[in-house]
Amino acid sequence: MSAPTLSSSNPREAFASEDSAQAQFAAAARWSAWRRRLLPLGAAILLLLLWELGVVFFHIRPFIAPAPTAVAATLYQKFGLLIANLAPTATEAIAGFLIGNSAAIMLATIFVHQRTAEEAFFPIAVMVHTIPVMAYAPILVLLLGNGMEAKVAIAALICFFPTLVNMTRGLRAVSPQQMELMRILSASPSEIFFKLRLKSSLPYLFSALKIAAATSVIGAIVGEWIGATTGIGALIIQATYNFDSALLYATIVVGSLFSAIFFGVISWLERYFLKWNAAQTG
Amino acid sequence: MSQIALDRAPQASAPEEGAAVELRDVTVRFTSERGVTTALERIDLSIPRGGFLTLLGPSGCGKSTLLRVVSDLVPATSGEVRVLGTSASAARARRDIGFVFQDASLLAWRTALENIELPLEVGGGGKRRGVRDPRELLALVGLSGWEKSYPHELSGGMRQRVAIARALVNDPKLLLMDEPFGALDEITRDRLNEELLRIWENTGATILFVTHSIYEAAFLGQQVLLMAARPGRIREIVPVPLPNPRRIAMRETAQFVELAAHLRRVLETC
Repeated sequence: MSAPTLSSSNPREAFASEDSAQAQFAAAARWSAWRRRLLPLGAAILLLLLWELGVVFFHIRPFIAPAPTAVAATLYQKFGLLIANLAPTATEAIAGFLIGNSAAIMLATIFVHQRTAEEAFFPIAVMVHTIPVMAYAPILVLLLGNGMEAKVAIAALICFFPTLVNMTRGLRAVSPQQMELMRILSASPSEIFFKLRLKSSLPYLFSALKIAAATSVIGAIVGEWIGATTGIGALIIQATYNFDSALLYATIVVGSLFSAIFFGVISWLERYFLKWNAAQTG
Repeated sequence: MSQIALDRAPQASAPEEGAAVELRDVTVRFTSERGVTTALERIDLSIPRGGFLTLLGPSGCGKSTLLRVVSDLVPATSGEVRVLGTSASAARARRDIGFVFQDASLLAWRTALENIELPLEVGGGGKRRGVRDPRELLALVGLSGWEKSYPHELSGGMRQRVAIARALVNDPKLLLMDEPFGALDEITRDRLNEELLRIWENTGATILFVTHSIYEAAFLGQQVLLMAARPGRIREIVPVPLPNPRRIAMRETAQFVELAAHLRRVLETC
């Protein structure tokens, strides 16, 4: 018997089988990626189909619940009207998002540097946060009038709290040893803030911003319910009072599509800025 | 209190005024809700320039506190701390002190190279003379080609190598290491032990190295400082008779085994 040889006498053969194993693995990975996308899409199509069949089969009147095809037709026919009403809502949501989150980030920065400020103001922030949007929305409309300002304020307020909490936690998510390192290097407070705290807070900030992207749209719509002549919220109210269910559903589709796009943009920014984050790249 | 003088290592740089580290009657107390703890009590210690001193002792004996007093992270409650002929804070401000922590403490959003460059970007560290080339340091710790890797792409041992390179970028005369290899597997630890000795010879810096491992303390140190706990104090200082340069295989010699046994016996009474 010959001595066992560990390395194959023909290394090329070993590489070839490795290549085919690689190809197999890649194919399996591609298939599972497609499967992940196709399964929910198939389920959605199935549900829409059931809905359509239900409306036809049970003779449900259109103003109670429109068939998906009727909603699609309205989306197409009234596209101009829907987009014209999306514009103010989107403006309010984005403005509120920017203002609310900037204020939260600034306050979190103050909290991290001034414990006393946190002890004094954080309970107030919690109190304000416990008030439901529906309760303070009319107050803001009274204060700021029927224009865009009130809606922006509501959207800003609804974004504010989750970002404040997450950002404060993120700015503190610095290890004691990293702080000692900065001390050994005689780093100034602003260097510690920009080169250490701000960067380590980014994962926390982005998870808050993703929540805020959705809630700022809710805030703008709720604001429009109280008093507005244009906007997704106003259109929802009008369509409901006119028993125009197809338009109501189409409005909701447009509103949630905008939310999804907004969320997608923030997620894309997160992936771009957090390339270094192990949790992101898996 | 015994005054302890250590032998000057053969790699010592050109003689300058004063020892690398001098502690005279240093006591450190911490006040917390549970009362006052004495972390270090009346420490007298003199470490010559170019030496390699390992600090060994049970948990809570103040090894880490001693490094933090020397690096001006923790103030001495009483007594005098002199580092390279000046106060500890002046030495820190001059960037004469490099510190390597137990976890690598790398910044996750910076690549290996950018982490090494951090000391040059903060605290005016880039304007000092004697700045070493970050790429050269990366090569010194055996990580050429990993410049653009983020910390999460590196193994624990590689992260600690980056941390060592970062500590060396201002060419410090004193390198303080707080259990830097404590979390690594034994194979990686052995390899890094040998490399650290090579780096010590290469830089001529004085090294204070805290460890929990008897073998690491005996293998690395020119002297081993044994400390006792509650309150933290110096128990004994043991010279290491091994020749330089050292190889891991020396740990199997009778001389080394005897030394380790002696250290263990002393530790049992700490």
